[in-house]
Amino acid sequence: MTANPRRWLRAVFGALEALCSRVFTPAWNPLLQLGALGWFFFWVVVVSGIYLYVFFDTGITRAYDTIETLTHAQPWAGGVMRSLHRYASDGLVVIALVHLLREFALDQMRGKRWFAWITGLPLLMFIYVSGITGYWLVWDVMAQYVAVTTAELLDVLPLFGEPISRNFVNEVSLSSRFFTLMSFIHIAAPLLLLLFMWIHIHRHTDARIQPARGLGLLVLGSLLVLSIALPAVSQARADLDVVPATIGLDWFYLPAYPLVQQWGGVTVWQILGGMLLLLGLMPWLPYKRSPPVAQVSLLNCNGCGRCVADCPFGALSLEPRSDWQTYSAEAVVNADRCLSCGLCVGACPTATPFRSASVFSAGIELPQLPLVALREQLKKSCATLAGSDRLVVFACEHAGSMGADLRRNSAVAQMPCIGMLPPSFIDFVFSRRLADGVVVAGCGANACYQRFGQRWTEERIAGQRDPWLRARVPRERIALSWAADLRAFRRGLASLPPLRLSKADTGKPGLLPAGPRWPVAVRGAGIALLLGVLAGVTAVLATGPGWRQLDPNEAVMRLSIRHATATKIECKPLTPQQMTDLKPNMRRPVDCPRERWPVYLELEREGKLLYRGTHLPSGLWNDGSATVFQTFRIPAGPQSIVVRMRDSGREDGFDQVRAGAIDLQPGQNFVIEFRTGEGFTWR
Amino acid sequence: MSLIAWRDEFTIGLPDVDHEHRELIAMINAVHESLGPVSGAEKVVAALGEIHARIAAHFALEEREMRKLDYISVTEHKDDHERLLDDILDIMDAVESPKDYDPEALGRRLSKWFTEHFRTHDARLHHWLVGQR
Repeated sequence: MTANPRRWLRAVFGALEALCSRVFTPAWNPLLQLGALGWFFFWVVVVSGIYLYVFFDTGITRAYDTIETLTHAQPWAGGVMRSLHRYASDGLVVIALVHLLREFALDQMRGKRWFAWITGLPLLMFIYVSGITGYWLVWDVMAQYVAVTTAELLDVLPLFGEPISRNFVNEVSLSSRFFTLMSFIHIAAPLLLLLFMWIHIHRHTDARIQPARGLGLLVLGSLLVLSIALPAVSQARADLDVVPATIGLDWFYLPAYPLVQQWGGVTVWQILGGMLLLLGLMPWLPYKRSPPVAQVSLLNCNGCGRCVADCPFGALSLEPRSDWQTYSAEAVVNADRCLSCGLCVGACPTATPFRSASVFSAGIELPQLPLVALREQLKKSCATLAGSDRLVVFACEHAGSMGADLRRNSAVAQMPCIGMLPPSFIDFVFSRRLADGVVVAGCGANACYQRFGQRWTEERIAGQRDPWLRARVPRERIALSWAADLRAFRRGLASLPPLRLSKADTGKPGLLPAGPRWPVAVRGAGIALLLGVLAGVTAVLATGPGWRQLDPNEAVMRLSIRHATATKIECKPLTPQQMTDLKPNMRRPVDCPRERWPVYLELEREGKLLYRGTHLPSGLWNDGSATVFQTFRIPAGPQSIVVRMRDSGREDGFDQVRAGAIDLQPGQNFVIEFRTGEGFTWR
Repeated sequence: MSLIAWRDEFTIGLPDVDHEHRELIAMINAVHESLGPVSGAEKVVAALGEIHARIAAHFALEEREMRKLDYISVTEHKDDHERLLDDILDIMDAVESPKDYDPEALGRRLSKWFTEHFRTHDARLHHWLVGQR
């Protein structure tokens, strides 16, 4: 079911990654370090946020003023910081979503890899909570829109005793303390975000949380350029008496908000909840069969810990010895985390093909691909090769297919991940004269499906990580598929001098040369273009296109009523006899049943009924206030309205009526309220 | 008589490592005893392959211990390990080509190979460990 969009997405990511590797070089390829870039954006937001917080003043008028001053009085300092704060947080959303898409496309979240996926979902929520409360703090018209719509959205949930929307009907009802609460949430949510970011990477050995320094500088540079070229500014000051017809929205953070108006809060919650549920189920849908996990052979394990150090998923640990041998530790596989990638096999010092067949088992092996089988198959397929450009290709499951000229006269040995290859196998190929060259084929550069397969392979060949590839192995006869021009390598093989493995002619251990690159000027232009487009799109979507929530000749009418009606039964004094009938602790001079009458309300405009409804008093005993909060979009201009209320339990007729002619301005926020003693008020 | 006899000065002071040293000496002695006419070369290579794997594992363990203890000469010691491992593979190559096959020389080479590393690098590690206590 999900196979097709996934395959399609994977192709898109593959093409983009290849392009970015060409332009940025694999080490700086942003698509291969999305998580690290997310951390980077997070820290930019934190640092700029701390700066802004120093100057920010919480208060209905002060909030807007301090941010205006910050932006315009010192555009080179406060202005830049504010813009960084906004654009980096937009960048964080983009990175998080692309990261999510890529993990989905490459299927790096299913089955045993569920942990990071599931712990990533709260990250999305905290990012959105942080962003939305952040926009709120500015208290411009967008903040007003965010406040009103968020309140509307939250009122749908059975969270609050009475609608919190009533807080936003006019300035009188809004307290400055409310901004204190908002800035508290705006600080608390990122802290929780950080906590979950930490949990998110918990199962990843050596998780990458810093992008390549060069890339980090490039991204920071682009953010700065964007901040100076298109500084983030506030929209008009919020005025709760007016509903702005059109507002610029940040479409990264607020795409769901227009939907609240279109479809209603319930539908939006259903959509969001459904999406979250679907995302949450994805690691197990469709079910993924997992191959048998790595197995430790205690007879061949002395607890050296190399496999533990090399496992990318923390699936291995050293535990106290469980057999008769006098070593202190042994490697133990955690089956719930083992992805059967085989990187541990490549790390094991006993995984050498030079051992005799009968007893050959490494300290840790994959049951589905024992090294003995790998060696025997290799020997068999190499026997059919001839000439001076015989090739052995060690390939991972994810390596792309090779051209026909590479497949000719070559033997392929496949394994789950290239990191499973013990370097001694390369030595074995040459010392047994099985072939003239070895290609080590993995995923795209730095894009290893099992995270560290390529890195460990490169480092083992270079003598930087155990086990080392023997020094005498001629490095010019080895090519890494992700870093070399394979065709040129193949052509070059035949022209090399005959293979000699004497110590005198030791190959140089060191990283193999990188693959072909585009000229610096081309790459520079490519980087500028890509980052420029990204920055431009970010800037455009962060402030517009504007959302028209109201037609130009419309106004908004709100019923905002909180009314405690009379109790259903009047209080009456108890007779002495009634008192004595009661238990001593229940005796009271007056009996007052607490239940109140419901409120029945009608609103009529130009003789036509606009609203009619009955509202029960709140509370378990129906003894609280009844609240009514309703919003209507109506045409502006002179018109007549009537509002009637029945609150005394009578069958018909009304207890409170107010009729009148009003003249609504376009965009006006016309609020009808009720106060006991005063009756209906409106303005 | 066995090729290498265990001597007390071989003791390093790390129980796992000492245990493995004894086992390795036993293995090398076994190979030495099996050394004979050319017809046995295949058996010898197989045994040497096994020794190579065991020694590689042993070195891995020793290196881990050294790194854990922040042993100062870990780089030199490690380099000598790599050289020794290369040596065994060279010995295997030599056994495989019949014209170079000389049981006597091979025995001397194995014995020298082991005791030399003991005498220098392992002894230095032992002294350092004693100094640490």
